[in-house]
Order: sequence, then structure tokens, then C-alpha cells
Amino acid sequence: MKQSKSMMVLFLTPALVTFATVFIYPIIRTVFMSFYYVKTVTDSFGKWEFVGFGNYGKLMASSMFIQSLKNLGNIWLWGGIGVFLIAILFSMILTSGVKGKSFYRAAIYLPNVVSAIAMATMWIQYAFNSKYGLFFQFFSFLGMDNAAAFQWTSPDNQFYAMLIAYSFGMVGYYVLIFMAGIEKIPSDYYEAAKLEGANMFHQFRHITIPLMTDVFRTSIVMWSISTVAFFIWSQVFSPLDPDVGTIVPMVYMYNLVFGRNLTLTDPTLLNAGAGAAVGVLMTLLVLLTFSMVNLVFRDKKLEF
Amino acid sequence: MKLFNKNTIKKIPSYGILSLWVLFTAVLIGWIMIASLSTTREIFTNTLLKSGVHFSNYTKALINHNVGQYFLNSLLYTFSAGFSILIISAPCAYVLARFEFKGNKLIQNLFVGSLGVPIIMIILPLFALASQLRMTNSRILLIILYICITTPFTVFFLLSFFKTLSTSFEEAAAIDGCSPIRTFWTIMFPLAQPGLITVGIFNFIALWNEYFIALVFANTSEQRPLAVGLMTMIQSMRYTGDWAGMFAAVVIVFVPTFLLYIFLSEKIIAGVTGGAIKG
Repeated sequence: MKQSKSMMVLFLTPALVTFATVFIYPIIRTVFMSFYYVKTVTDSFGKWEFVGFGNYGKLMASSMFIQSLKNLGNIWLWGGIGVFLIAILFSMILTSGVKGKSFYRAAIYLPNVVSAIAMATMWIQYAFNSKYGLFFQFFSFLGMDNAAAFQWTSPDNQFYAMLIAYSFGMVGYYVLIFMAGIEKIPSDYYEAAKLEGANMFHQFRHITIPLMTDVFRTSIVMWSISTVAFFIWSQVFSPLDPDVGTIVPMVYMYNLVFGRNLTLTDPTLLNAGAGAAVGVLMTLLVLLTFSMVNLVFRDKKLEF
Repeated sequence: MKLFNKNTIKKIPSYGILSLWVLFTAVLIGWIMIASLSTTREIFTNTLLKSGVHFSNYTKALINHNVGQYFLNSLLYTFSAGFSILIISAPCAYVLARFEFKGNKLIQNLFVGSLGVPIIMIILPLFALASQLRMTNSRILLIILYICITTPFTVFFLLSFFKTLSTSFEEAAAIDGCSPIRTFWTIMFPLAQPGLITVGIFNFIALWNEYFIALVFANTSEQRPLAVGLMTMIQSMRYTGDWAGMFAAVVIVFVPTFLLYIFLSEKIIAGVTGGAIKG
């Protein structure tokens, strides 16, 4: 095909300019900023004060930030295990020839298109409510008064309540991904295995799992990216002040830089440079999981 | 037992689990809808709709709680950003899909890589830049940010779509003396309509539900989109105590994407799996 230079420039420039403005320039500036003491985020470069790794040191010394990292790790690990196991189960059921497959699939994916603020409000104001809530009524109806009296949103329980509510909505996305992966596996593999006398478990262990490696790899990376951006659920579960039970790094950073919330941490920490350091750490976490996943699944690529 | 064969009976647990899960979703959403038509008193005494249907919750939310304004803002942001994204991304995706040149692969990799960059990695310099240009708390700024941030995903999505289109259209147009730029806008862009619509729906849903950028950049009452507005309402609940009004606001937030999904779920699902499996 004829290549037109002027057309290439004309067609690429707008997208590249937007990309440079919101990704390349900010990434570079955030990395720099994380090594400086910056009183307010709008300060010009001239007012920045070089502190080396000082911001990182202060973050690591802040118990609230460490707590936010722990919460993030728990969401990633336990939420990830729960979501992936349920999604695998559902995708196996849905690809086994049940009737109404597309209805179930669509209904399970539904929470993903609904605003997270709305979903989180439904959970906290209805499902978990201790006066008229769904779980309260359900367990009262069964006569299980202890379970009915369970305080889902008390400080001790709110982290797991939040994790359950968040994970519930995330399952649908991975069901779609896993179903597409399973449907790509040629059905004669399963037929051959059946003829050899392999049961469902063996088929799953020796056909589905190995041939889905690529899908799992992508899914773990996607899960990590969405976990790092965990923010809305934490805000809805602790709408007024960030709470030990629900705080995550993004909430910590938001309060550090934009919040008027000086009670969160020691006010001397209040500096946009530390906020930038949180951003850098989160980006490194994503890169780390990405390379770990590639390392673990290396040499396991199968062609079919 | 002729009615159920052995296979159906074996699948009863499967249907049970799926149905319970879906039932739970339905109860969650259905109860909110009913509660949004009851009074706050009825919600707390568990006697929903006892005194009839109260549409006044919606008028109260829309007018007293400013949700009407938030709704119009959300419409403005999603539609103006949504269309501009397509106009900027489609030509870029087309050139990357069709032309071979140095740096093509690099641009593609950068765009894909940016999908993994957390928003808090870029928000501070953007905020500083916006305040330097005296653009904070303007509607235009939010629209521009939405366009810029969504472009890499849109390019990535459309790129694989353009690759599936045959080159014979361009060859025929070139023989007829049509310039490449004109060929794109009059032939290829319309041909890409299915892909443009799918990615357009995705962007609509994502921008409608977007929260963090709006929270940082449009946090005055006049500029708030729905998601941020709803959160403000929740935060002031302990003063207003208007639970019914809040549930009405929740319904107003989720109904647009919910309706879109009911009509287009097959298209949306096909788009999710198509995009992710390749990645």
C-alpha cells in the first residue's frame, strides 16, 4: 500500500500528543518529585527541596501507610484466590452445556457495568445493614440469631465485609475471560481423554489448567492492576475518615495530598513528594507482579 | 422418570449455584429500586411501599440534592469525551495497523504499557499542570483529561479491529485516485463502525462510572459528575437522614449503564473477551 508521510504525521500526532501529556511527562515528573520535599502539589520546581529517599523512609515509618500496604496485600491475595476459584467454577459450569448459558453469563457480569459507588452503597446500606439488611433478615428468618446479629461493618469486620462485596462484583469479569479461554480449547482433547477413562478432575488438571496458562497469566496481571487502583470501595466503606480497616495506598495518598484530613498522619509528613513516592511504589508493584508472573509461567507456553 | 434424563439431574447443583448467585444480584438491585420508591421510615421499619409509591424521592434527589445537575454533567462529560476519543484514536489505530515504519511497535508497546500505569502515578503532575494553566475546576479540563487517558486503550482496541479489514478497499480507492486521507474518512472509518461502537460503549461505561479523576479535578458542586455527587450525598447523610432520597440517587447513577447493558450485553461481552484474550 502507498505510504503517505504527511498522512502518518497528521493521523498519529493528536494521539501521541495526548499520550505524552498525560503519561510520559507526568510519569517522569512523579519519579523526580518522589525524591523531593514538595510542600503543596502546585509548587513550581524551584521550590522543591531534594531529600533523596527521605519520602520513602517516612512512608515506611508511617504505621498508617504500612497498614494500607497490608490491606492491599490481603485484597490481592485472598480476594484474588476467592475470585479466581469462583470464576473457574462458574466458567466450568457454564461451558459444560447448561441451558440459559448466555443469561447466566450476562447476569454474573452485570456488576461490572454498574458504578462502583452505587454497588458499594447497595452493599453497605442494604446487604450489610444491621437493622433492615438482607443478611440480617435472611438469618433472622432462619432463626439463626447469632448470625443475624453479626456486625458486618464494625471495625473488626469491615475489611472482610468490604473484600467480600468487592470480590463479588469482580467475579463476572474473570468468568468471561476464563469461559473464552476454555471455549478455545479444542473439544477433541476432552473426548480423547474421556475415551481413555479420565474423569472430570483429571480432565481439568491435565487439559484445562495447562492450556489456560496464558489466560491465567493475563488475568493475574489484570487483577494486580485493578487491586492497585482500589479506592472507591474503601471510600464508601469509610466515607468520612480513612479507617485502619479499609485504608489502601491510594486512599492514603489522596488524603496526604488533596485531603484536608490532617488527623490521618503526622502533619510534618504532609507533602506532595511523599504522595508521589506512593505512586512510584504502586507502579513498581505492578511491574513486580508482571515480571514475577512472566518468570513463573516462563517455559510453560504451549502451542495448540 | 422420563421428564428428567440422567444428565439434567446431574446438573442440578450447577443450576443451584448459578441461580443463587444471580438471585442475590437481583435481590440486591431490586430491593434498592423498591426502597427508592418508599419513605425513609418504611425502610427502617421494613415495611417498604406500605404508604404507596413515592416518586417524590426522585424529584427531591434531582432538585434538592442537586442530582439533576450532576446527571447533566455526567452526560456532557461522557458524550463529548466519548466522541472526541474516537476521532483521535481511530486515525492513529489505522496508521499503526496499516503502515510499516520505524517506531510502530514501540508506540504500540507504550500504549499497551500505559494500561498498567496506576492513576496515582500521573495525577500529581497533571494537577500541577492544570493549576499552572488556571484550569482546575473547569468542565473542559475534565473532558480533555478523559480524552487523553482513554486514548491508549481505544487505540489498542481499534488497532486489532482495523487489522481484520481487507486492504482491497484502499487499493480500489487508490486506483480511482482517492487520496489516502480521504479514503480513510470516507471508506475505512465507516467500515470500522462495529469496532467503534463497541469501544464507544466501553468508554461510555468507564467514563460514566469514573470517580477518582473527577473527585480531584471537578470537586465543586456545579462540576461534579454523578459518581462524585452520590458520594457527597452519602457523606452528608448523617445530617440529612434522607435514605430514600439516597437510594433514588443510587438508581439514577446505575440506570443508564444498566439499561445499555440490558440491550447490548452480547456485544459488550464479546468485546471484553475479544480484547482480553489477545492481550
